[in-house]
Amino acid sequence: MSVLLVLEERNGKISRVSWEAASAALRLGAPQEVTAAVIGAQTEKLAEEAAGKHFGKVIRVEHPLLDHYTADAFTLALEQLIQKESPAQAVFPHTYQVRDYAPALACRMGQALIGDVIEIGEGPVFTRQLMQGRLNGSYRHSGTGPCFVSIQAGAFRAELPASTAGAAAIETFTPSIDAAQIRTRPGEPFRGSAQTVDLGSAQLIVSVGRGIREAENLPLVEALAGALGAELAASRPICDNGWLPMERQVGSSGQSVAPKLYLAVGISGAIQHLVGMKGSQCIVAINKDPDAPIFEIADYGIVGDLFEVVPALTEAIKTAKQ
Amino acid sequence: MMILLLPTLAEPQHFSIAEKSILVVLTAASVYGFWRRFGPVLDRILKSKKDPDFHLAPIGKRAWEFIAEVMFQSKVIRERPLPGLAHAFVFWAFCAFALVTLNHCAVAFGAGFLDPAGSVGRGYFYFAALFAVACAAGILGLFIRRFLVRPRWLGEKLSWGSGFIAFLIFALMSTYLAAFFVADSGTAARALWWAHTLTLLIFLPVIPHTKHLHLVLSPFTIFLSRGGFSRIPPLKGDEDFGLVTGKDLTQIVSLQAYSCVECGRCTEHCPANNTGKILNPKEIVLGVRAYLNDLGPASDEPLLGKYNSQEAAFQCTTCGACEFQCPVGIEHLPILIGLRRGAVNTGTWDDNHGAKLFLALERGSNSLGLPASERDKFIEKNALPLFDGTQEYCLWLGCMGGYDPKGREIILAFVRVMNFLGTTYGVLRKERCTGDPVRRLGNDLLFQQLAESNLEALIQSKTKKIISICPHCVRTIQEDWKEFGTPPAIEHHSEFLARYADQLPQTQNQNQEKIVFHDPCYLGRYRNIYDEPRSIVARAGELIEAPRSRERSFCCGAGGGLAFLGEEKGDRVSHARAAELSATGAATVAAACPFCNTMFRDALASQGAGAPQLVDIAQLAARGLPEKIASKGNESAPL
Amino acid sequence: MKIIVAIKQVPERDAPAHIAPDAKGIEERELQFAMNEPDAYALEEALQLKERNGGEVIVISAGPERVGSTIREALAKGADRAIHVVSDGLGARDALGVARLLAAAIQPESPDLVLTGLQSEDLGLGQTGVIVAEVLGLPHASLILQVEKTGSGLKVKRELEEGWFQHIELPMPAVLTIQSGGNKLRYATLMGIKRAKTKELRQINAAELSVDAAPTVTLEQITLPKKQKSTQMLSGTAKEAAASLVEKLKFEARVL
Repeated sequence: MSVLLVLEERNGKISRVSWEAASAALRLGAPQEVTAAVIGAQTEKLAEEAAGKHFGKVIRVEHPLLDHYTADAFTLALEQLIQKESPAQAVFPHTYQVRDYAPALACRMGQALIGDVIEIGEGPVFTRQLMQGRLNGSYRHSGTGPCFVSIQAGAFRAELPASTAGAAAIETFTPSIDAAQIRTRPGEPFRGSAQTVDLGSAQLIVSVGRGIREAENLPLVEALAGALGAELAASRPICDNGWLPMERQVGSSGQSVAPKLYLAVGISGAIQHLVGMKGSQCIVAINKDPDAPIFEIADYGIVGDLFEVVPALTEAIKTAKQ
Repeated sequence: MMILLLPTLAEPQHFSIAEKSILVVLTAASVYGFWRRFGPVLDRILKSKKDPDFHLAPIGKRAWEFIAEVMFQSKVIRERPLPGLAHAFVFWAFCAFALVTLNHCAVAFGAGFLDPAGSVGRGYFYFAALFAVACAAGILGLFIRRFLVRPRWLGEKLSWGSGFIAFLIFALMSTYLAAFFVADSGTAARALWWAHTLTLLIFLPVIPHTKHLHLVLSPFTIFLSRGGFSRIPPLKGDEDFGLVTGKDLTQIVSLQAYSCVECGRCTEHCPANNTGKILNPKEIVLGVRAYLNDLGPASDEPLLGKYNSQEAAFQCTTCGACEFQCPVGIEHLPILIGLRRGAVNTGTWDDNHGAKLFLALERGSNSLGLPASERDKFIEKNALPLFDGTQEYCLWLGCMGGYDPKGREIILAFVRVMNFLGTTYGVLRKERCTGDPVRRLGNDLLFQQLAESNLEALIQSKTKKIISICPHCVRTIQEDWKEFGTPPAIEHHSEFLARYADQLPQTQNQNQEKIVFHDPCYLGRYRNIYDEPRSIVARAGELIEAPRSRERSFCCGAGGGLAFLGEEKGDRVSHARAAELSATGAATVAAACPFCNTMFRDALASQGAGAPQLVDIAQLAARGLPEKIASKGNESAPL
Repeated sequence: MKIIVAIKQVPERDAPAHIAPDAKGIEERELQFAMNEPDAYALEEALQLKERNGGEVIVISAGPERVGSTIREALAKGADRAIHVVSDGLGARDALGVARLLAAAIQPESPDLVLTGLQSEDLGLGQTGVIVAEVLGLPHASLILQVEKTGSGLKVKRELEEGWFQHIELPMPAVLTIQSGGNKLRYATLMGIKRAKTKELRQINAAELSVDAAPTVTLEQITLPKKQKSTQMLSGTAKEAAASLVEKLKFEARVL
């Protein structure tokens, strides 16, 4: 079984999610059966990084028109590569970029992408989430032609087993792309405006409530937010007292947030607060009252004195980040 | 024989042709002056849209309200006893003077029918004189209040029209009274007669040009009320979206707009106005009047804009204090909610929080936007029995009872009481918001969807009686759902608790905890329940009253959907009320509404240490009951 | 500008997800349906584009009869007319099969712009828009937060990962998939519902479109995830609890 693994670059290196996809690809074939592809205008360094693994080979898909990502160029390049390599499976990390072109690429080959896969079973059977994660669905590829699969971030380990260490041969493939075939003109990436506190788009939030007791104790949670690289937010009483500005208030009269991590410190969980943060992916609550309603919706809870737990957590995070 | 010792009313005799002619011409001019202004007003009222749901029946109730509110001036006096009584004297004097004035005019043509010398005439003139004295004193007092005391409710601008009217009334009374002290045939009598007549003839055209138009209109306004407090009329036809333009103003709205006497009682009691919002219920009514004056009832100009502000309309908590206080029968809530309906039903109202609430209810089951599974978890965790048609009560959890941690505590306390009493009850497997907030915000589409789907669920579950801890749910289910079906009977838990209070163990503690009860608007003014919750409070401690209580209770700030509209401008209504409740020195604030409860929770917390604790009356009733009481006859079924 | 918005009807977000006996779907009996939220954002974007530039907004949706209620909701929010591709057998098609069906119904309209939500809340495939573009031979961009008309083309704001964005220029006709949150959604109004009654809702039978239905990907079975969300209480001293929390955030929740 030959597997084509498409790797993505981030900050000049192969991205972590690409290595996770590599883990998934290794479920489908032995290392030698995996062909890893790196795509771009200059892919030498990436190819070398990929060649550090015991893949069958590494292909540098190189063309000046692949310098910036465009769906048209990537689709053309990979279409030609797949025609040449005719793999049984093509595995991608499920990134924003892959979501932009892989469905079209699969379609061009008469296939449907099995996207956002979290598990690969015997068969192979691919499991993906349905109904916002409340159910799982297992899918099987049927018919002829390659099977296209993209792998959800975090579903597989990025650290490949030591046995995959080795040296793969590097080939270069130059697809034929004409500038006229590229219909979109992408601009330079830019950061979202950061002039005001935008809790709505924050990925990590540390939120503080009445449990903090005094404004003088705020540096404790500020240190925690700093260690995490998180935005600081608060429940209404904190902002009412003027301890933090109103724009940091989360809840029905403040902002609604949906970060990856919402760490509630000393917040009991009044309904006005809960409605503003219930969409968070992972909720952690630290509170001294074991019956505090916040624990009902939390994923992780620590019952304890925040004046002890928060400094300990700050330290633990600093250690973990080193 | 005392009567003979008293002076007689002087009545000039023998009017010349010239005098008679002048009288006729002046009277015609006066009536013309009156009609020139009143005619168009009447025309605008009559040309307004017909009220689709208006019925004169039950006429008895209307008659009774007319007698109480117009003849006995009950609302005028109750709220402001001194100026109210002064006003009542003026009114009663006017009534008494109806005959006197007729006779006065008839005299000029030698057709006087009350003989000042005869016992009937003499008696009646004395009777009227008593009122004239009271009226003169009253109007003098009102003049002093308006121009010297100047309470802020009367507005910042001095109303010179009112001063002039006061002068005319005073002149009418004094010219009448003076006629007792002059001779019949002298020029003095004739001069007084003419002075009285001229005052009358000036008075008449002044009426429709000033707020004293209420003299003519308000008796009709009170008689022709919508019948019911805060009664929101149904929309009729495919083009009725509420009050959008002049074409949507109904006859009742127009009549009310022209009846406003600008007394400011509504403003005085408005929680929004008292906490620095721009809403002033009086100005809303006057805005509609100004619109009618400038554009008329056929105009396509929006009602919200130049004449009334949308922002003001959406600051109303629908507490109903304005409507309750109005002495001339203006129903502010149908107007305010009507303006909101116009804005929301046409999509003109653009508010982030409002849209969030609407979208949450379009897609989900509760106003808080939480997943329904949260309610399931609460039911499961506390093993609340499911309603299966055999239990006595369907316990309506509502959004607060089903999702809000504090509301859930109230439910659990109430459930303990019901278990103790052996009352059978069950909760519905699925419940949607009753639609209270969207109803008051004017979203008729969403309200209809919520009402209909709930009604269907209740019919399917064979519910006969509902019990709820939330006065908003109670009101909406009992009154507002009627537009779409027949809701089951419903009562508020305060009514239930009061009924069974003596079957609960006596828990009153010896140190007599002072408990102040806050009347929720939707329980008090909307449902007329005042004593039942107090009876529960009185069992638990020493009941004390807030300065504004019962019918005059001051809102917590949550009603009318405002609990969902984010931060308010000015001071928070909840903080103003919480401060008032704390200032009573009570150790405990007792509420009977989960919305009041949640508002005060924040407000009292911000008062810091020493703030009274906050409980619901169900929690007071459950004091002294064992923690765990098995429910009787309720097999808790799995979800 | 003629804009077509492809919308999908999905189970309401807090609807109970009971697996059907054949394990190939979920029980529909007690299900309430609603418009897929990302599609609601696509519709909103279309309506705002129309309000700015004029033109027509047409909604298209595929599915059984019940889909009609969601289509009417879209008409009530301001779409001018609608196309309903009636099919009871969508479940048997894969993403490619459904997109081909939609593309076949869209093609005769020759729109300037096709919009759809980034992904659906039930299946979460996130592919339909991109495949429709490929089938129609049109350029596309996905994860779009803002759309601006520039002369003959479009300038769109695309969301990248980790708080980055980029602008993309592309010619029309084009297909865009819209990311949620770029606009404020409008609420349904009574006036909208009343006006919608008179708007055109054309039904096309899926069979008439003669599009290949054979899937290349088939659903084997639906199962409950092993872990249901519940609160894990971490005990021990402050230090121990903190350490185990960091461990769990890193490897279990994977949010660090």
